[in-house]
Amino acid sequence: MSRPTSGPVASDPSWGNRSDLDVLNRDIPRVDGPVKATGEAVYTHDVRLPDMLWARVLVHPVPRAEIESIDVEAASEMPGVVHIEALKEPGDAVRYLGDDAVLAVVAAETPDQAADALGAIVVKARRLAPVVTPEQALKEGAPVVSRRRKADSNVGRANERGDEAVADAALAGAVAVVERTFVVPIQHHVCLETHGHVVQPAPDNEQVTVYASTQSVGGTPRGLARTLGRDASKIRVLTPHMGGGFGSKFGPGLEGALAARVANVTGRPVHLMLTRADEFAIAGNRSGSRQKLKVGADSDGRLVGLKLEADKLGGVSGGSLPGPPYIYTVTDGAAVFSKIRSVHTATDGSRAMRAPGHPQASFAMEAAVDELGYLLGMDLVDIRIRNLESAVHHRQLRRVAEEIGWADHPNRDRPGAAVNGRAVGIGFGVSVWGPGGRSSRCDVTVRPDGSVVSATATQDLGTGARTYVAAIVAEELGLTVDMVEARIGDSDLPPSVTSGGSVTTGSSAPAIKDAAHKAREGLEALLTDVLEAPVGSYVWKDGRVSVRGDASRSLPWIAVCALLREPLLAQGEFRDFLHEGRIHGAQAAKVEVDTLTGRVKVLKMVTCQDQGLPLNRLALRSQINGGMVQALSYGLLEQRVFDEQDGFLLSDNLDLYKIAGSQEIPEMVALIDDEDERPSVCGMAEAPVIPGHSAIAGAIHNACGARLTRMPFTADNVLETLYGKI
Amino acid sequence: MREMDPSSGEPSAISRRSFLKGATQVAAAGGIIGGAPASEQGTAVEPEVETLSGSSSMELLVNGKSRSVEVQPRTTLLHALRNQMKPPLTGTKEVCGTGSCGACTVLIDGQPAYSCLTLAVTCAGRPVTTVEGFGSADAMSDVQQSFCDKDGMMCGFCTPGFVVATHAALDRAPKATLDELKYELSGNFCRCGTYPHVFDAAQAVQKDRARGEDGR
Repeated sequence: MSRPTSGPVASDPSWGNRSDLDVLNRDIPRVDGPVKATGEAVYTHDVRLPDMLWARVLVHPVPRAEIESIDVEAASEMPGVVHIEALKEPGDAVRYLGDDAVLAVVAAETPDQAADALGAIVVKARRLAPVVTPEQALKEGAPVVSRRRKADSNVGRANERGDEAVADAALAGAVAVVERTFVVPIQHHVCLETHGHVVQPAPDNEQVTVYASTQSVGGTPRGLARTLGRDASKIRVLTPHMGGGFGSKFGPGLEGALAARVANVTGRPVHLMLTRADEFAIAGNRSGSRQKLKVGADSDGRLVGLKLEADKLGGVSGGSLPGPPYIYTVTDGAAVFSKIRSVHTATDGSRAMRAPGHPQASFAMEAAVDELGYLLGMDLVDIRIRNLESAVHHRQLRRVAEEIGWADHPNRDRPGAAVNGRAVGIGFGVSVWGPGGRSSRCDVTVRPDGSVVSATATQDLGTGARTYVAAIVAEELGLTVDMVEARIGDSDLPPSVTSGGSVTTGSSAPAIKDAAHKAREGLEALLTDVLEAPVGSYVWKDGRVSVRGDASRSLPWIAVCALLREPLLAQGEFRDFLHEGRIHGAQAAKVEVDTLTGRVKVLKMVTCQDQGLPLNRLALRSQINGGMVQALSYGLLEQRVFDEQDGFLLSDNLDLYKIAGSQEIPEMVALIDDEDERPSVCGMAEAPVIPGHSAIAGAIHNACGARLTRMPFTADNVLETLYGKI
Repeated sequence: MREMDPSSGEPSAISRRSFLKGATQVAAAGGIIGGAPASEQGTAVEPEVETLSGSSSMELLVNGKSRSVEVQPRTTLLHALRNQMKPPLTGTKEVCGTGSCGACTVLIDGQPAYSCLTLAVTCAGRPVTTVEGFGSADAMSDVQQSFCDKDGMMCGFCTPGFVVATHAALDRAPKATLDELKYELSGNFCRCGTYPHVFDAAQAVQKDRARGEDGR
């Protein structure tokens, strides 16, 4: 039996002085590296249970149709088919290409048999006009595909802010004015592990076990409770490892509900992972947008007025776009007017994706700032600093400018021109994020044999969360990381947060710290009789404890633990003062544009990022790099493409939906902003994905004068912008 | 939606023979990364070969061990490894299924290949090495250790493919420059964006191996 520590604690936990840290704020190789590098890590995709069925879903190939019949009879007689179920009746509509287009589910003894049965289902349907583009959605007499109640068009209610007349007057008085319409395509998350679950049913008095590729082990039991017909406490969700989420894996979704239902009906374990094509069709995306942005500046380069009219393109969902002015400040806040509305198409609803809405807003706003700089003959770094309130942004911009070689670059206040068809440019962008922290818990157990377990129901999306679950405890107790076992990815552990919006670190790290601190004080209480010093007067370092100021009164870790007669359980919770709420970043990109072919090659990207105390500098640089890579990929390559006539999703595979590969990767410099000396921690993953594509667009403009107003920055886009034709 | 083959109860739109032959050539052309030209690889199935339907048993030589596995003519090496072998080898990942991403990379005859585009039947008698064949968590290869040291992974789903591709790249081009390494690894995608640290990991192995040679 373990016992919780009791009685008043001697002191509050603290992250301590950075100079005293032995484990944190250093490069810590991730603790699950060896199992990942050897293929031993078991993802949901890899779960194989005895007697397991393989399930697949049938997705209608186009967004809108009226179902005449779904004949599963022949399919049900195929070899190995155990369960087959049509999900629509004759006369039902397919209203959009998303979960509403899932027509049937099949479960069979082998994956091939499930695929064969899927192919033997005979569907008769009348295709309807597709409505896959905003133009089709806005056309007079267009079919209403919006899911809003009583909707009579595909346009959502406009969100208007500010006074248009005040903004107009300010813009009329501006010395320089830029007006552009920016078009941002829809991006996919492209988690390498598709969405899915393995559900192992159980008798009513036992727990159902669900393996889930999820960003929320804690929330998934509630999401499946109704389908499984049992209380959430009777559902255990396990996510030992997961292959990427990026905001798309918060709930079990239809695929999870179907896996649960088939497991219930058949009484057998069910493996249901979406195929790559399913994933593109029904597993979410980052919303697109069209932004008509007008910004004016005075002769000093101060922004004095702004107007934004924007359409968010989130399919059947609303999409996301923060209001203007994005990050930058307009001198008179009253001179900012915006009208933002959703335009709905019959396509999969957008979901959260790493910094939802922010990269879209950044693309338009950074472009406007660049162009105002050029109109006024101002240095691109100077005009940014003039319009950014935070001194953190100022120092970060100077730092990335120095690293990218801005001082020696000829085009600091005007775009350059190509020499022999080749032009080099530099661009900039900034980011903010406010992840904060919220309720989270952690249990730290110290056993008499010296072993330590740190346990919390978080999940590691690839961020390195599992590593700091161990490392924070190791730091507090003077141990090495390998002496602490991290247990995560299990809904039965002490609850933590859903991993979205960079909230995980700011929420769970304080709880882990609190638990570790309580464990330390629990051990110190035992030492008062042995080393004869009160709680709070010990130093834990290098696997030993000693009395502060008297190294001769000391014990090795194993001897301290031997004083325990039973395991010591310390229960930690979120402590507000151990986390930070707000982070900042700046990026610079250097590109080479071939103005004869239109090809853009990114030469270098630099990010400077703050986050309070860095827990693990190695994982932090990985995350910053990852943000830059995803932003580069978004800027240069990615867009969802529909066949507008018939409504087929053309980009439903990784040949036609392009993401960045190794040959697109330039030199990348991830700078941790060590001038941020805040003594607390914060998540940061959203921030570095926000401005990279904006910096690349700025660099293209800076190189050769081509202001690209739509993404991605493909060769045809560059040539058309440069010459008005291809 | 599909024609049924009444004798087997399985769909059969085209003959097994033409399917097998066609698919093998596709696999040879698309599945071998930088390997022998397609004309050399397309001879695995002679036109006179007996037409098979349904499943049959074959031996696969995986990581130095002979493994008996039930396959159909259409079964890919990836599915044979992940779904048919007992116990399965799930280190090799399925991500795209179309030879775009490299998560399923294995070595066949020492050459890197996309196992999602390689039919299992074409691997009879040819040694196959998967990520599990290079090391275990307790005894990692130098490349695997370097991926851990340099954090050449985040979610880790692409990592097995990258580890195999990096082994192959460093065997083929031990002194590859950074640009050459990027070319060698261009058959693999990572979505988390871990590429810079993958390059660091590969270069660290190059340095270590070069040091080892100098010391001899």
